[in-house]
Amino acid sequence: MKVSGTSTLKADPDTLWKALNDPAVLVATIPGCQRLEALGGDTFAMTVAAGVGSIKGVYDGQYSIADQAEPGTYLMRARGSGAAGTIDATVAVRLQEAEDDNGGTLLSYDADAVVGGMIGGVGQRMLTGVSKKMATEFFGNIDRYLAGERAAEPEAAVSTGSTTRGAVFTAPAAAPSASNDFVKGLLVGGAIALAGAVVGGWIAGRRR
Amino acid sequence: MTTRMVGEPVKRVEDPRLVTGNGRYLDDLGHDAFEVAFVRSPHAHARVVDVDVTDALDVEGLVAIYTYEDLVADEEEHGTRVAQALPLLIPHPTLTHGRTQHALANGEVNHVGEAIVMVVASDRYAAEDAVERIRVDYEFLTPIVGVEAARAAEHLVHDDVPGNVAARMVQETGDADAAIDAAPHRLELDLAIERSASMPMEGKGVHARWDADDESLTVHTSTQTSTSVRQAVAAKLNLPVDRVEVVTPDVGGGFGVKIVHPWPEEVLVPWAALRLGRPVKWTEDRREHFVSSAHERGQLHHVRVGYDDEGRLLGLSVKFWHDHGAYIPYGLIVPIITSTQLLGPYKPGAYRVEFESLYTNTVIVTPYRGAGRPQGCFVMERTMDAIAADLGLDRALVRERNFIQPDEMPYDQGLIFQDGRQLLYDSGDFPGSLAKLKELVGWDDFAAYREQARAEGRRVGIGMACYVEGTGVGPYEGGHIRVETDGTVVVSTGLTTQGQGHQTMLAQIVADELGVPFERIRVTTGDTRRFKYAVGTFASRTAVMSGSAVAVTARAVREKALRIASDALEAAVEDLEIVDGNVRVKGTGENGASVDLGAVAVLSNPLRYAFDEAAKRATQFAAPADPDKPPVAEGESPGLEASQFYSPPRSTFANGMHAVVVETDPDTADIKVLRYCVVHDCGTLINPMIVEGQIHGGVAQGVGGALYERMEYAPDGQLLNASFMDFLMPYASEVPEVEIDHLVTPSPLNPLGVKGAGEAGVIPGAAAIAAAIEDAEGITIRRMPISPSELFHLRLENQEAGS
Repeated sequence: MKVSGTSTLKADPDTLWKALNDPAVLVATIPGCQRLEALGGDTFAMTVAAGVGSIKGVYDGQYSIADQAEPGTYLMRARGSGAAGTIDATVAVRLQEAEDDNGGTLLSYDADAVVGGMIGGVGQRMLTGVSKKMATEFFGNIDRYLAGERAAEPEAAVSTGSTTRGAVFTAPAAAPSASNDFVKGLLVGGAIALAGAVVGGWIAGRRR
Repeated sequence: MTTRMVGEPVKRVEDPRLVTGNGRYLDDLGHDAFEVAFVRSPHAHARVVDVDVTDALDVEGLVAIYTYEDLVADEEEHGTRVAQALPLLIPHPTLTHGRTQHALANGEVNHVGEAIVMVVASDRYAAEDAVERIRVDYEFLTPIVGVEAARAAEHLVHDDVPGNVAARMVQETGDADAAIDAAPHRLELDLAIERSASMPMEGKGVHARWDADDESLTVHTSTQTSTSVRQAVAAKLNLPVDRVEVVTPDVGGGFGVKIVHPWPEEVLVPWAALRLGRPVKWTEDRREHFVSSAHERGQLHHVRVGYDDEGRLLGLSVKFWHDHGAYIPYGLIVPIITSTQLLGPYKPGAYRVEFESLYTNTVIVTPYRGAGRPQGCFVMERTMDAIAADLGLDRALVRERNFIQPDEMPYDQGLIFQDGRQLLYDSGDFPGSLAKLKELVGWDDFAAYREQARAEGRRVGIGMACYVEGTGVGPYEGGHIRVETDGTVVVSTGLTTQGQGHQTMLAQIVADELGVPFERIRVTTGDTRRFKYAVGTFASRTAVMSGSAVAVTARAVREKALRIASDALEAAVEDLEIVDGNVRVKGTGENGASVDLGAVAVLSNPLRYAFDEAAKRATQFAAPADPDKPPVAEGESPGLEASQFYSPPRSTFANGMHAVVVETDPDTADIKVLRYCVVHDCGTLINPMIVEGQIHGGVAQGVGGALYERMEYAPDGQLLNASFMDFLMPYASEVPEVEIDHLVTPSPLNPLGVKGAGEAGVIPGAAAIAAAIEDAEGITIRRMPISPSELFHLRLENQEAGS
């Protein structure tokens, strides 16, 4: 499955980049994300609750930066699994200054994912549709978060930018914005949440 | 003595269950299943540019959304063939440009209703909600609608099919053109029949369940051929056939449309069940049936005929154009039947027929009860009436002069029929049938009645039409019969049932052949778990094919029973008979030594273990046995059962003649059928009540085809009357009482002497009613169906032409 898209965010690339590197921000903005743990280096573990019907549940995943290319571009690899299936994705992400004069960022992503299990059987358009929707939702959350509309501070609270090994971040009780709709409305489950997160948000690795 | 069952009007054993609401149809199954709805094209001809599912993702209960790309990906990943075009079921050398549809549209849609996206959800409501929110972008192409547009070929349905022509076929016997040119009288006629459709009460439907542990798939489908669906689904899904079973539940009518297979849904629903690991089900709604199943009948015909002073045919040349819709999965069966069966009971002199089968951007065309014969009958019978009018002869007389005579049977028409075999009539007495019909309707007295009615200001008219119908086409059917140890007789045949009363009819045959009470017989049809080799229910073939198959099977069981009983009764096989389920010595009556078939079944199966009282008799210490013989004799097998097949050399040809009296309203042009008389010859009657029921239903559809039913396509390919509010069908109030007389000329081709009866009633309807209207009005009728409005306009045209 290939998913690609672009999104314009209000924050400038530098601010955005810092936010995207902050697990505390990420755990609060990735749709359905419950828990984010730094495993050391550029590797993180993540727990996402999503899905409806027979495959609603909690899904665990891991991601790492597999490669780093020219400035502003990143290549990531993510894996996730849950009762309903597995996902293994590679995502190229690029941050550029948006062409409007508002100082925003044009974020583009290009993901190639292999899905297995029941999730793999629900149809490509549905998977890509869900992933894009997840990504859009995530970017919207980031925008709102950076504008100060945070619902509540995560338990691991203060945004330090630190990704110390063993640091654990958990989401506030009320997940932000439309993620509830997502949880109610989609069947594809946590692995798709992972895919959405991958294409949008798991870029917490360091810029070099 | 056992009463002979064949020939008796036995009440249908199915009916108490069906009429008390205890039928089990497809939609009665699988309440726990995911349900399917489709995004279907609203355009007749377009390219699919993009499918956007974003808005559908929020629908609660959504499970999966599939498009053609998923089928391709599945082929790459799992080796399935779901993405490939559906099979062309009946290839023919002249079908040079056969195109079939994809289960989901492959970038182009060719008729309104073609499936583009499949949605699976927790229930149908959710699935429909998701369908509503999926957006498809189209690039419009020019729709080709109707024979004229297809023939003109200014635009193409399929880019790679020049002229929109799938096939051009010619058959001829002698030099028809020369014979016509040399004839003392000649006529040319243009004749048209419009589209209609099978319209079963129950549409199609599929339920599939995948057992991942057993790696087996069970499919229930409302089909006319479960065995062939099984093969097709296994092939499409790349499963071993051994792991697929197809069961036909009660089917609420088929009339031909359900012989087509695999329908896209019959592939997609099992495929989704396989991929999702959950039962999945789809039930067709009425609009879907109108726009995505199949239609029939639409044809234009041009006739040239030459005849002598007596009205005898010297040469007949027919060219016709068959509109087969967007794809041609069922091949050329319908036009081949028209081209051969239009000859009816007549000797045409030299005959030439040519047809073109044309693509249009409309729903596919496949056989509907009658299958090309109503059109052929209309062409031939209108021609007969035109000859009679031209020569001023009685219409019945002209027909009689052209009949094949009984002493000319079997009669070879010199053509190849739809089964690839000779068009060879096996039996029939056409003069005898005509005499019965004239008597039944009072043909010779009608002129006086017409004049009398005229004097009263009423317009009445009479018409007749004759047909010959090839029934019971091969290649084969089979039967399996087992006598249980309690004497129950279990019968299975592979073809399916759609409400015709097969359980009753087949049990009647078995009762007679085996000598068992009718009430002890249980018949199963259309379940591949029970019987795997079969063809299907179409072409009026069940009584001929499965009837003959269970007859020969029952004979085999009977022989085995007698062999076993001859040991037990110490009597020669030739001296034994089976009466009321008991084997006894002939001539000894009810007090003589006898053994019931249940006991014979026990003895047929030597046992080590006694599981009940009856079984004790078959255990090893129960009775002295010859120590030198094996318990199961050489050449025998355990169990009182047998399986046999029947495969005839060619079709058997039934025939019949209908006469109709109509009255037309002088002011409103309303058309009322006053009398409908049928003389019917389907060989030996197994159950006259069932045969007459089939005739009644056929006549009702014939009246519908003549006066009401048509597919109202707009030039842009929209079907304007795709609902039961707008598609007229006759009610009980429009179907006349049907007066029936039978003539029986048994078929020499099968052990029962039977011919098919399922389709006969519908065949001559349009032809006979057109003739009767013409007789009442004095206006030539060349197109059917005809509405009061059309008749009114014909009157106006006729007045203008006459003034």
